Amino acid sequence: MTDLHKLDELLRATDGDAGCAAGAAILGAYVDLELAGEDPARAYLGTAIHLMSCSACRAEHDGLLEAARRYGDVRPQ
Amino acid sequence: MGPRGADETVPASDHSIDACDLGRVVTVAPSSTEASCVDATPRGLDADSRRWVEQLRAGHPRQHQTVARLYDVLRRVAWFELSRRRQQLQSVTGPEFEDLAQQAADDALVNVLDRLDEFRGLSRFTTWAYTFVMFEVSAKVARHAWRRQPPGLEGIEWEALPDPVALQPEELLEQRAQLDALRQAIGKLTDRQREVFVAVALNDVPIDVVALKLGTNRNAVYKNLFDARRALRARMAAAGQPVSNGNGGDIGPAGDAGLDRSGAAWSR
Repeated sequence: MTDLHKLDELLRATDGDAGCAAGAAILGAYVDLELAGEDPARAYLGTAIHLMSCSACRAEHDGLLEAARRYGDVRPQ
Repeated sequence: MGPRGADETVPASDHSIDACDLGRVVTVAPSSTEASCVDATPRGLDADSRRWVEQLRAGHPRQHQTVARLYDVLRRVAWFELSRRRQQLQSVTGPEFEDLAQQAADDALVNVLDRLDEFRGLSRFTTWAYTFVMFEVSAKVARHAWRRQPPGLEGIEWEALPDPVALQPEELLEQRAQLDALRQAIGKLTDRQREVFVAVALNDVPIDVVALKLGTNRNAVYKNLFDARRALRARMAAAGQPVSNGNGGDIGPAGDAGLDRSGAAWSR
C-alpha cells in the first residue's frame, strides 16, 4: 500500500487545482484565515488543492504562516 | 467540488505585476471603489493595517520611521525564512547568509512600497508584506542552487519510485508491470512534459530551479507538470495499470476537467 500511495503522490493531479499564480495572489488571506482558526479551503478551495501538490508553493505557505504567527502583530510606531 | 473563493482566480488585468524575478504574477482586480477614491487606502482595514499603509505613503510625516520599522521586520522575517530553508542553501553561512537575508528584505521592501496602492485588505498588512519576502527568498534559494550546480534535467532517478525490497513475489511482479507501464507512458509525453516530470517528480529538482533552467516561470512549469501527471495517469489506466487515488479507488482516464484554466492561473 505504501508503494501504491507513493505512485499516487507522484502522479497527483487533482481537479480544481488553482495553480501557482492564483495562489500567490491570495496567500496572505489564506494564511490569516488559518491563524484565525478558520478553514481557508472554504474560501480558497483551489489553492488548498494546489498546496497539496506543489512543494514550492507549500514551502512559501509554511514560511508565511510561521512569519505571520511570529511577526504578524508588529505595528508601525 | 465546492465553489472557489471569488478572489482566488481573478482575471488578468492591467494591474498584473511581477512579484519576483521568477515571473510570478500577483494580480489584483481593479475595483470601482478604489479607482474613485482620492485616498487610495481601502476601506474596512484593521487599525494597524491602516496605519501601516497611511504612514508608508510618500509625504507622511512619519514615513521615514515607518519604512525603517518595516524594513527591520522584513529583514527578521527573511533571516528566519532562510534559516528554515537552510538545508537548500547547504554551504551558505555567516556573512553570505546575512547578505542573502538583506537582499531578500531589500527587494521585498521595494515591492511593498511600489505596490502599496494594491493592498486590498484581504489579509493583514504585515502578512501581505511578508508574502513578498517569501517570494524573494524562493527566488534567491533557487538562484543559489542553480549557480552552485545547475541540475541535469535528464536521466531518471528511479529511486523516487516504490521500493521493491519489502514486497512479496507476486506484489513485486505487479509493481514491475506498473513501472514498465510508467516508463512507456513517460516516453510518450511531449518533450517539455517529460523534461519537467523527470526533473521535478522523479529527480526532485526544485520547480523554481527548473524554471530558471528553462527560462520560464514556476506557474508555467507547474502546468507542464500537471498535464504530464494527468497524461501519465490516463495512459497507465489505458494500459491496464490504473493508479489508485488517496482513498484507494482507481482513477480511469482523465477528462478535460483538471486545472482551473480561467483567469490569472493560466493566462501566462
